[in-house]
Amino acid sequence: MNKNTNLLWLSSLRFLLRHPWHFALSILGVALGVAVVVSIDISNNSAKTAFSLSTEAVTGKATHQIKGAAEDLDDDIYTDVRIKAGIRKSAPVVEGYARVEGVNRMFQVLGVDPIAEAPFRDYASQEAGIELSEFISGKNTGMITETVAQELSTEIGDSLDISVGGRSFNIQLVGVIETKDDRSEKALQSLLVVDVNTAQRLFDMKGELSRIDLILPENSDDKIQQLQSVLPDGVDVIRSDSRTETVAQMTRAFEFNLQALSLLALLVGMFLIYNTMTFSVVQRRPIIGRMRALGVTKNEILFVILKEALLIGILGTLIGIAAGIVLAQGLVKLVTQSINDLYFVLSVQELTIDAPALIKGILLGLGATLLASFWPAREASQAEVTTVLKRSSSESKITSRIYKLAGFGLAGGLTGFGILYIPGGGIAAGYTSLLFMIIGFSLIIPLMMVGLAKLFRPVFGTFNGLIGKMSVQGVITELSRTSVAIASLVVAVAATVGVGVMVDSFRTTVVSWLEAQLEADIYVQPPSSVSRFADATLVPELSTLLKGTEGIAESHTVRSIDVRTNLGDDNLVAINQGATARNTYQLKEGSEDFWQRYSSEDILMVSEVYAYRNAVGLGDSIFVQTDEGRRGFEIRAINFDYASDIGTITMSRQVYNQYFDDEAISGLALYVEDDVVVDEMVEQLRAKSAGIQDIFIRSNKGLREASIEIFDRTFTVTVVLRILAIIVAFIGVLSALMALQLERSRELAVLRANGMTPGQLWNYVINQTGVMGIMAGIFSVPLGLLMAYVLVYVINLRSFGWTLQFMISAEVLIQAVFLAVVAALLAGLYPSWKMAKANPADALRNE
Amino acid sequence: MVDAIKIQNNRMKKSSHIYLKNLTKEYQEGEKTRKVLDQLNLNVAEGEMIVLLGRSGSGKSTLLNLVSGIDKPDAGEIKIGDTNLGELNEKDRTLFRRKNIGFIFQSFNLISTLTAKENVLLPLKLKGDTDEEAGQKADTFLKEVGLGDRGDSYPDRLSGGEQQRVAIARALAHAPMLILADEPTGNLDYETGATILDMLNKLVRENNRTIILATHDRDICKIADRVLEIRGGTLSPVEDLSEMTGS
Repeated sequence: MNKNTNLLWLSSLRFLLRHPWHFALSILGVALGVAVVVSIDISNNSAKTAFSLSTEAVTGKATHQIKGAAEDLDDDIYTDVRIKAGIRKSAPVVEGYARVEGVNRMFQVLGVDPIAEAPFRDYASQEAGIELSEFISGKNTGMITETVAQELSTEIGDSLDISVGGRSFNIQLVGVIETKDDRSEKALQSLLVVDVNTAQRLFDMKGELSRIDLILPENSDDKIQQLQSVLPDGVDVIRSDSRTETVAQMTRAFEFNLQALSLLALLVGMFLIYNTMTFSVVQRRPIIGRMRALGVTKNEILFVILKEALLIGILGTLIGIAAGIVLAQGLVKLVTQSINDLYFVLSVQELTIDAPALIKGILLGLGATLLASFWPAREASQAEVTTVLKRSSSESKITSRIYKLAGFGLAGGLTGFGILYIPGGGIAAGYTSLLFMIIGFSLIIPLMMVGLAKLFRPVFGTFNGLIGKMSVQGVITELSRTSVAIASLVVAVAATVGVGVMVDSFRTTVVSWLEAQLEADIYVQPPSSVSRFADATLVPELSTLLKGTEGIAESHTVRSIDVRTNLGDDNLVAINQGATARNTYQLKEGSEDFWQRYSSEDILMVSEVYAYRNAVGLGDSIFVQTDEGRRGFEIRAINFDYASDIGTITMSRQVYNQYFDDEAISGLALYVEDDVVVDEMVEQLRAKSAGIQDIFIRSNKGLREASIEIFDRTFTVTVVLRILAIIVAFIGVLSALMALQLERSRELAVLRANGMTPGQLWNYVINQTGVMGIMAGIFSVPLGLLMAYVLVYVINLRSFGWTLQFMISAEVLIQAVFLAVVAALLAGLYPSWKMAKANPADALRNE
Repeated sequence: MVDAIKIQNNRMKKSSHIYLKNLTKEYQEGEKTRKVLDQLNLNVAEGEMIVLLGRSGSGKSTLLNLVSGIDKPDAGEIKIGDTNLGELNEKDRTLFRRKNIGFIFQSFNLISTLTAKENVLLPLKLKGDTDEEAGQKADTFLKEVGLGDRGDSYPDRLSGGEQQRVAIARALAHAPMLILADEPTGNLDYETGATILDMLNKLVRENNRTIILATHDRDICKIADRVLEIRGGTLSPVEDLSEMTGS
């Protein structure tokens, strides 16, 4: 800063310090916006780091993997790989998930052969000091890290109680995993290393492996071809990093939407900063005019105001980053929970606070503040000195501009709509369109305020006489300030309406879909590691036992496995329901005869999300790796399915059995006879299954409730972000309206001097902030619905491909208007109190 | 451009005068156009004190705004020294103003967030004086206006008369060529107004400054070298001062 302008800066700084409430609230506005963005980034990054660390630990130095068509692989293949193909650097792996009693998280169970492990995973090899005689003793033995052992208060020789798919086991701790550094400690903290045979017992995979890890030299295409020749049909050699890619794809939209929602909070924050700076500038118009008359240039005014904004930005950003880190401690749990419910097992033990997240927070905080402040700063600096000294000029200026502004607003809104129609526009285009609509709508607000005031004036006059009329008129005569305050409030409240309506729409759709989907009376399912998938299997004899129970009229089975297709790693569900499945599955597209043909032909059904993600439709073929080799299946139906945002392929169990050597069942749907009471049958089945497998036996209602509970849990992050946006909005309103009223202290003093009692002053101020609150509440509803429309029909569709019912609940709308009015009324309290208490003479004093 | 202005300023020191030719200014008031200044002409010699009389709305403030470069005329020429304000853009007019014009307003117009001394320092610092130079000058002028001990007070702690004294110190401290005073006693009681006027007259004369003082207070005419009345958008000299002042 030029030395000459130090006095200008000093003047600015004192102005801020003389308005501590305003100053503090504007810092808080920036801080909250930054905190939300930083916390979401840290949470996402922590989840990513935890995932990559655990993948790194489990994959080790393997370059390739041999995998079967379904989720298993005959263990004879391992012998062929080592002997026939001569690949020495190969290691068998059996893996799965188990819940370890005593710690509330899933552990990845890695079944290995320590003798073959040395080139792959240091910690699991013989060289790491594993005592072979104990490790491969034929009993269930295993190892965990020392930290986890301490966490569980166990020592070598003690037993760990674990649960795998509802079956309980004891694992004897025969050693602890040696970790070399902090990084490997973090990577291994949710890992239970066992012998291959132990893992086969745990996961009921006798004679089977999950995969065989390989280390192949670079450019080993010939070697892979040679290896492929000794492998049976359906078994493939794939790169070991392909799972990381799959997972990254899975969670991309999830992460993007969290980031976008956090940016929405920042956008609300930006409006608040704009509002704050506009106030700050409008309040100082006389000072700016005086300075300009003394020879201060426009640029000097511009820079000093931007410098002020920078100070607010720096303070807000620093506080925001610190708050973001604190907030991330809680958010990371919600994000991890959602990932665990939706995608894969993940355990995040600590935050990853990396530089890019912090730099992004700094850039966004400072950038948003400067961007939001630029226009008010420019307005102030460009104003003519002759007019800047009197406020009425700015009022007449905005009044004459309201139609022009509304015209720009309309153009902005239409541009927003236009962006939606850009071919190939992705999620980012959706959010850009939203931004245009928000700005466009804000520009129409002054015109709508003038219109609404005409309606309000007689109404308030009737109820509150002259004070009522004055309150409404006051909002319009100070349009340059009140319109900015109301616009900020509208955007903030509308954001909460938009997200609220989106969540409601989602929930309503899921609830009505569940009602149709859940046709059977009782559902049986073993506990799975990921809520949305059925990755555990039912013990075969238990399935037979339950189906044969007296009072059960009919049953269907479901089998869910991960398969490799030409489109990637996909979830395949095989159902044995027959033609009655037409009542259960709601088809979005499909031929009439699909259900007659699906049990006998190589055809399948995909969920709409799957079709959207993979850009496939009716008549396209999906090539699935089966135990019989790669087979093509034609898509003949697309169904609605809200259980997974990754998508599902569904085929008949009869067709599945032709291609997969797999008898397992992942779930059972039971229909009871007419005279049987469902809840009693549930109790009876629970009693029957006791001691065999710990499974979920739930009535139709119970499963529906459980599913909705999971749904609600996955939306907790969104709800938290919405609450944060509400807090940002609330602070913004408080800041804007309070500043407005405090700034009018002279006018209020004149009213007091003219005989207005303190009570009447309260009435006047509260009435006026109330009018502004009601106006903002009313305007926030259409903008909120517009935002919800874009979120539901554009952003959701482009992120996930779901068809959702648009659900507007009165609750969300009432909440919005209520929020705006309460915030506005609260904002009036302090100024009313202050003015009612103050001596009018003080406020009337000349400067 | 700044250098050019410096050169012009140096030249002006030698032959300072103000030259207004055919100055015209109109305002749009709703549908109507009101001509405030109509081909107005004026020449002011260096060190001259001009009092500008006129009723409210007669165009006094408009004329001062045009002379200071705050506003631009619709037609006509404004030359201050060798500088033709019509040839300068907005930024250069501002830079010209900061170095060559001192302002005294009716409503004082001190910067409320700066102390009395800082208000006086502001034009000095803007002009480029060092901290030391500026500090000394500000102290001297505050003493001259009798507020040597109130330098640290903020404007809202000063009386109206004190505020206007600070404004006079601010207007003179950076040694401008021209001082423009718009109703400097308009917000003050008679006695305080008279004191302020005496002080202004003394300081302007001592420092050999040119001043144009707009007022509707005919008593001020006593201290003027020349009294002009603005009426119907043009200036006419007031010859009989005794008639004007009633003395």
